[in-house]
Formats: sequence, structure tokens, C-alpha cells
Amino acid sequence: MEDATALKARIKNMIVENLMLQITASEIVDERPLFGPDSLGLDSVDALQLVVGLDKQFGLKIPDPAAAKEILHSVNTMVAAIQRAGAAGGLR
Amino acid sequence: MNQRVILITGANGGLGQAIAQTFLDEAGENLVCLGVHRQRERAEVLVEKNSARCRCINLDVTIPEAWASAVARILDEHKRLDVLVNNAGKHEDGLLGTLPAASWQSVLASNLDGVFHGCQAVLPAMISQRNGRIINIASLSALLAPAGQTNYAAAKAGVIALTQSLAKEVARIGITVNAVCPGYVETEALAGMNEVDRKAAKAQIPMRRFGRPEEIASAVRFLACPEASYITGSILKVDGGIL
Repeated sequence: MEDATALKARIKNMIVENLMLQITASEIVDERPLFGPDSLGLDSVDALQLVVGLDKQFGLKIPDPAAAKEILHSVNTMVAAIQRAGAAGGLR
Repeated sequence: MNQRVILITGANGGLGQAIAQTFLDEAGENLVCLGVHRQRERAEVLVEKNSARCRCINLDVTIPEAWASAVARILDEHKRLDVLVNNAGKHEDGLLGTLPAASWQSVLASNLDGVFHGCQAVLPAMISQRNGRIINIASLSALLAPAGQTNYAAAKAGVIALTQSLAKEVARIGITVNAVCPGYVETEALAGMNEVDRKAAKAQIPMRRFGRPEEIASAVRFLACPEASYITGSILKVDGGIL
């Protein structure tokens, strides 16, 4: 399985590219919340794009809004979800 | 214009047929998927005439799983979906005082729930592409709210509100969402109207004639064309000047 550092880099690139952010991938801090106060400032439309991006690029299917809230909290939580799904054989 | 993949629901009806034909005529590269449910005879004739770039897809618009299956098939075969035309719908007119609840529910299911399910089914693909066109066929009934059409008028008014709300949600992803409101159009919907009612209806229309399905289809094609890229959340009336 891909190591966490490489996975984080790919996720950050996906965030910047899919959401057309005016920052570089390296400026995204692993544990910083993506939504809400003191966050990267993403909104619900960004979340929808991330759900689609995680499915398309990483094969991670997010089943419902509650799971999305948990998984999309930060880069770290996305990495953890991808690794969990990979260990469980749930990724394409 | 590059190849575009277009899905049209209610494609066996007069309006669906005209919309499909318009997209087939627009560009030789267009691939047109005809969403059909119970009736498919006319759609199959269109497929026979255009077998290389037109096909029928089973699609009961009221069932989310049917949408998932239809969209998955299109993406498997063509890898993209550029345009969705939510055209399927039906009337079950009657005064509200005696309207069976089943008529309310089935008209709402076909005309409004179907649009919701359709938009939800195609969004992931359009988000991935960062491009897409959704055109919802509403009705002048949504704006005129005639007596005897509480179910249909409410459903189509819901389609207009859905269109405007969704347009705001997905505008920055490159997806446009618009609605067309046909007035009286020479389709099977008018076929049951007697001559007296037809005259009375025409008298309400400043152009003094019913619309042709092709005239509605042209509006749909316009909203799907590259030149309409900055139009979203719009409600385009095609009604001969009634409103």
C-alpha cells in the first residue's frame, strides 16, 4: 500500500486542483480542518467535489453525509479513511 | 464541436423525439441516449435510423436505482455525459377537491422527483468533468397555475425552483442548470383536446397557433450549446407570447 506521506501529497494535490484553490499543495497542513472556523475555508460545494474526487482518484466511496463530515475533516482523516478501506479490500 | 453525450428522458414522446432529433442534427459526432420506460416504439424507430449514435436506455425516472444503472451504462460505454435533458413527465388533471391522492403523488413523482433523481445521478460525472449541462423541461403551467392542474403546476413550479437552486450550487464547477417552459405544443398532450377547446386555447396565444415540438427543442439545444455557457438558473419561456 502507498505510504502515508505519498498519499497525503496526492490528496493535497487533488484538493488544490479539483477546487482550483489559489494556494499550493504544500501550504495545506495535514491536521488543519478543511471546513468551519480556523479552517482552510472550504464549503459544502467543495465537499461535494472532494467526495467525487476521492471516489474517482482513490476509489473511496463515502456512503452518507455523516461519514463525509468525519472523513473530510482534514487531510489526515482522508488518509486514514483511504488506508482503512484499502486494508479492508474496499478500494478499487 | 466535439463529440457530446446527451441523455434525454421521456424520449418516446413527441417533445422527447424532437429534442433527440435536434441533437442528432446538430452534429454528426453527438451520441444521443434515449431514456424510455413503458413506451419505446418511436424511440426504437429513431435508433434504427441512427444506430451508430443513438440508443435506448431503460429508465423509470421515479426510481433512483434505475438512474444509477442508466448513468453507469452510459459512462461505461462513452466515458462521459455532457448533457441531461429532464423531459419525462405526465398529466393527471382534475380539480383538487376530488383529485385522488394517488394522482397527486404519481404526477409529483414523475415530474419533480424524477428531475431530482436525475440531477443527483449525473452530478458526480459532471463534477469530474468540471463541465455539464442540465436542462429541465418545466411548463407554462408552473407560472399560470391553471385550474385543474394543482398537481402538475405544483410539480413544474418545483422544477423551476430546483433548477434555480441547483444552478447556484454547481455554477462554479462549470455545470449549468436551466429550464424551458413550453406553452401549448402540438404533442400527444394536446391530442385529446376537442376543436372548441383548441380554438379557445389558440385565442389566448398572441401568435394564434400552437408551438411545434421542434421549436421547444431548439431552445433546449441553445441552452446546451457552447454559446450559452454563461446562462444558468434561467427559465426560458417558449409559449408564443402568452406570458
